[in-house]
Amino acid sequence: MNTALGSSNGSAVHGISHLVIEVADAERAARFYADTLGVDGAALGDWPEANELALALPSGQMLVFKSGGTGDSQNESGIHQAYGCTPEARSAIEASLAGTGIAVHRYHEDRPAEARDPFYFTDPDGNRVQLVTAPGNQRGISGIDHAAIQASDMEWEEAFFVDRLGFAVDHRVGWNTEDYVRARAWAEGRDDMAPGTRRMDRRYRDNPGAEPGSSREVPRPNIQLFLSLGGSVLGIFLATSHVQEPAPELARGTPRTALAMDRAGLESMASALDAAGVALEGPVVHDKGAPLEVSLYFRDPCGNFFELCVPADARG
Amino acid sequence: MAEVESISHSGICVHDLKEAEEFYCNVLGARVHSRVNFKTQDALRGRSIHTTLTLDDYVFAVMLTEDWMEVPDAGQLRGANRTRHSFCVPKARFPKVLEMLEAVEVPFEGPVMHPEHGPFGESVYFRDPTGNFLEVLWRRDEDVVYSTVQPLGHGGGG
Repeated sequence: MNTALGSSNGSAVHGISHLVIEVADAERAARFYADTLGVDGAALGDWPEANELALALPSGQMLVFKSGGTGDSQNESGIHQAYGCTPEARSAIEASLAGTGIAVHRYHEDRPAEARDPFYFTDPDGNRVQLVTAPGNQRGISGIDHAAIQASDMEWEEAFFVDRLGFAVDHRVGWNTEDYVRARAWAEGRDDMAPGTRRMDRRYRDNPGAEPGSSREVPRPNIQLFLSLGGSVLGIFLATSHVQEPAPELARGTPRTALAMDRAGLESMASALDAAGVALEGPVVHDKGAPLEVSLYFRDPCGNFFELCVPADARG
Repeated sequence: MAEVESISHSGICVHDLKEAEEFYCNVLGARVHSRVNFKTQDALRGRSIHTTLTLDDYVFAVMLTEDWMEVPDAGQLRGANRTRHSFCVPKARFPKVLEMLEAVEVPFEGPVMHPEHGPFGESVYFRDPTGNFLEVLWRRDEDVVYSTVQPLGHGGGG
């Protein structure tokens, strides 16, 4: 439980500051997001990381591309990035996508907040993108609504983010019968769900003595946990296969989810992480002129890279 | 004869695992021991979805059902619907159980006094959020030692 570290750390997070996404070529990715999603394609100067290219979004958040990605985007996982935009902007984006031959999917949703008007596509690097309708007057995407990662142990993740760091649970999937009844509709082709949200389980596959191939296959919802991060949401999906984690000594890497905080919040969170025995890199103070004042890098219990950062406009 | 010594554990089927955990922990004082099917390895093995709880020396699992069960009308607080789990408290603590159920607004029937020649004293009947029938009682034979608890390690035998 959380008592040793206090439960208020999670509330110190203002939201997602930026997402670092792996792509084959950052400049090519920036052109796609500028041309298709209406993002300002001019790279931010003095971005503190090598081989990364940062674009500013109207919300003040940033979308960052890291060159050298392998193209292994784990297409069957629940990993995705969701951006907000107006219905009008989305119509324009849909028209642009049609021009590039990229298919749009209307996957149904488990999380009620996303149920209305679903819209998904995959960018040229294999990253799954979701557009969520949001107020505003921008011609393209306005900001990052939520991001989703995957994890091999959902209990570890919840113990870490909720019990230890104090983030609030927004929604859970896979904890009630209704989710399982609904999974059967998916298996029967009556519920078009996004990759990573459903799975076929072969019951008791490895039971000693069982006849090989005799186990029953059943459709199930994949376990999902959605956390409130200030004004943003982080989705965590159970990994349905084993994935090689980065080397344990690495606290800083990509893909990476960066959360914005003020300086006091970052110091409090750093203490909480340190007390929990989490390996940290930083706080790293960035050069004057960079969009970030300071960053702290770490990994969650399942190897996902995170960054806590103080935006430069909070410098003072 | 199998010469079994005691009940090892039981399973209670539920429609909402989180709700069940919160009920059994917050109302009855159970503790979460472990959960199954929240790890990649469990998914790959196709295991059932359940949480193992401990209540003093009693182990039970709340098992998520993957289809809807028949549940008696919510107005019925005392019944079995195949099974009723009954938990024992010392007589001196029984009034506190009634107070606690009132405080957390769990509807109950009772206390019901049992015949003086039987082993049971008083019972209170209520249901978990799924609708499983539960009972808490004190026993008139609470000071009788029928057997000593054997150390675990190979299934419960001494």
